[in-house]
Amino acid sequence: MSAIHLQNLVKRFGDFTALKTMDLAIADGEFMALLGPSGCGKSTTMNMIAGMEEPTSGKILFGERDMAGVPMGRRGVGFVFQNYAIFTHMSVRQNLAYGPKMRGAPRAEIDRRVGTIAEMLQLTPLLDRKADRLSVNILQRVAIGRSAIMEPAIFLLDEPLSNVDAAFRAVMRTELKQLQRQFRQTMVYVTHDQLEAMTMADRIAVMDHGVLQQVGTPLEVYNNPANVFVARFIGAPGMNLLKGRPAESDRGLVIDLGPIGATPPLPAVIADAVRGARGDVLYGFRPEQVALVKRGQGLSLPVTFVERIGARTIVHLGQGESAVKAVFDNDVGLAIGQTAVVAPGAPSVRVFDAATGLALRAG
Amino acid sequence: MKTVQAKPALRDEGAKLGFRLTLPAQILVLFIAVFPLLMQLYISLTDWSPLSGLGWWSAWSLWNNFANYTDLATDARFWSALKRTAIVMIVCVPAEFLLGLALATLFADEFPGKRIFYSILLMPMMVVPAVAGYMFFMLFQSGGPVNDILSSISGFPVTIAWLSDPTLALIAVMVADIWQWTPLMFLILLAGLVGVPEDQIKAATLLGANPWQRFVTIVLPKMKTIIIIALAIRVIENFKIFDTLYIMTGGGPGVATETISVYIYKLTTQDLIWGYVAAIALAILIVLSIAAVFAMKRMARAREVPA
Repeated sequence: MSAIHLQNLVKRFGDFTALKTMDLAIADGEFMALLGPSGCGKSTTMNMIAGMEEPTSGKILFGERDMAGVPMGRRGVGFVFQNYAIFTHMSVRQNLAYGPKMRGAPRAEIDRRVGTIAEMLQLTPLLDRKADRLSVNILQRVAIGRSAIMEPAIFLLDEPLSNVDAAFRAVMRTELKQLQRQFRQTMVYVTHDQLEAMTMADRIAVMDHGVLQQVGTPLEVYNNPANVFVARFIGAPGMNLLKGRPAESDRGLVIDLGPIGATPPLPAVIADAVRGARGDVLYGFRPEQVALVKRGQGLSLPVTFVERIGARTIVHLGQGESAVKAVFDNDVGLAIGQTAVVAPGAPSVRVFDAATGLALRAG
Repeated sequence: MKTVQAKPALRDEGAKLGFRLTLPAQILVLFIAVFPLLMQLYISLTDWSPLSGLGWWSAWSLWNNFANYTDLATDARFWSALKRTAIVMIVCVPAEFLLGLALATLFADEFPGKRIFYSILLMPMMVVPAVAGYMFFMLFQSGGPVNDILSSISGFPVTIAWLSDPTLALIAVMVADIWQWTPLMFLILLAGLVGVPEDQIKAATLLGANPWQRFVTIVLPKMKTIIIIALAIRVIENFKIFDTLYIMTGGGPGVATETISVYIYKLTTQDLIWGYVAAIALAILIVLSIAAVFAMKRMARAREVPA
């Protein structure tokens, strides 16, 4: 097992900067998800940890050991590829035995280790099957087993579930999380799917355009997004953000949102931070924490679209700058063209500086 | 899947009509593929030749009780030509394969000037074999460039009479074949090499395999089908080696470079014993067909393992 430290890591491909100064500490035995849209630099980061690409500058440390110049076969890293990269011309047994065999382990030892790993991953009855006609969850287990047999200190997984159909993904997620508990290795998991990151990771590193946006536990990232990008990216749908101007009222500090009215007074902790800011702000709140209220007690917005998806109803309100989504647990009976009066639940309210995009927080 | 079944009688009617409609095409195919073969078999059982004054259809009057085949069994010149052809094949095809594979491995990576070298490498294949024959004929003259180069390297005047020495002539002929056909091998193997999934090679690297181990355990098995195809093409082609060789040595000195094709050519144009030629050609066709079927079977088995 091993901790990973990324220090001032930079990667440029010609003129294109894939990664701008990344600093990240991943603890020993931690499951860290690198989450972001495609092109955010998450895979580049992973490839550099694995040694497939050399950083332009910066350091990668495993524990105390600097990995500069250590070739990819010598880093003690297990890597699970997006398509698993199983050796299809071999049997499951040959796949599992590949690493030890290439390193010249004695036959008896290879057999013993393959046996142990196969037992652990429930692959024993499949050992002599050709690897080209296996179902995707078996492939995942073979891919993990093939790496795990080398007892790597670090496991890297590159979007292993992106080729799996949606219905099966939940099963695979559970299986993967259980495997991680079993092996207790440091795991770095690259994904663009926040659901995977939220459900499996101990901590999430949210990235965008080669910049690390925020690192935190799934709930931290969800509840206290550090900036506008994270607020919009995390959550389905993401956080509502409305542009406005702080204004003092007799009930306390509110945000004047222009034509759609003013917000309810801000919670005291946020109000202090907002008072210290200059210029416009973005008023954010979670779609799941919106209540319908009487006229005059919230924001009046026209209903533009209603999505009923069984357990939940997503109501689209307003347009352009003042577009807002609200998620209700039941069908609230709103129809397109009606006007809804909504009030954000105070605990979910966050305010961001409109110029910098950063969260305005007390302290 | 379920299809609507026609009544048996109707189906027979349909089959009959279908047969009649395709009959002209079937006859054409038969004529193109089977007729020459049957004609060859027919002629091979006779002493017929174009100088006999008979049309080939009346060759039966020259029936010789399988004498061509019994002659073939005891024809020392035939067997030595066959042996020589085999030697050329055993030297040339593996040499072309190994050189082609080495070059393909080299060209699978990027390096400066790759495109130019690639074009240059493919050029020998484009040269008309007869032209290549004259080129090597010139190169291997005792006062030719090969000896000049050897002289300047060794410092002594080298005047080897390449094409007049039985062993050296065979070597010269094989050099020419390797020069001309390594590019084809290279081209086919390169196509196979770039088709090897990169992820699997990376995975092998991450599992600690060194370049040689990766090559043996991942690259070669993935290329199995294409290797068999490349070898089959070259074995069949090389067995028929003729044009370059004939221009360089004419099969000589003596019969030192006489391969099956050269022998057949001489029998056809000089000895004019066409019945015997037909017998040889048929025997070789059978040998090559057996080899081809064997290769196809291996290929089918290899294809059960997709990349």
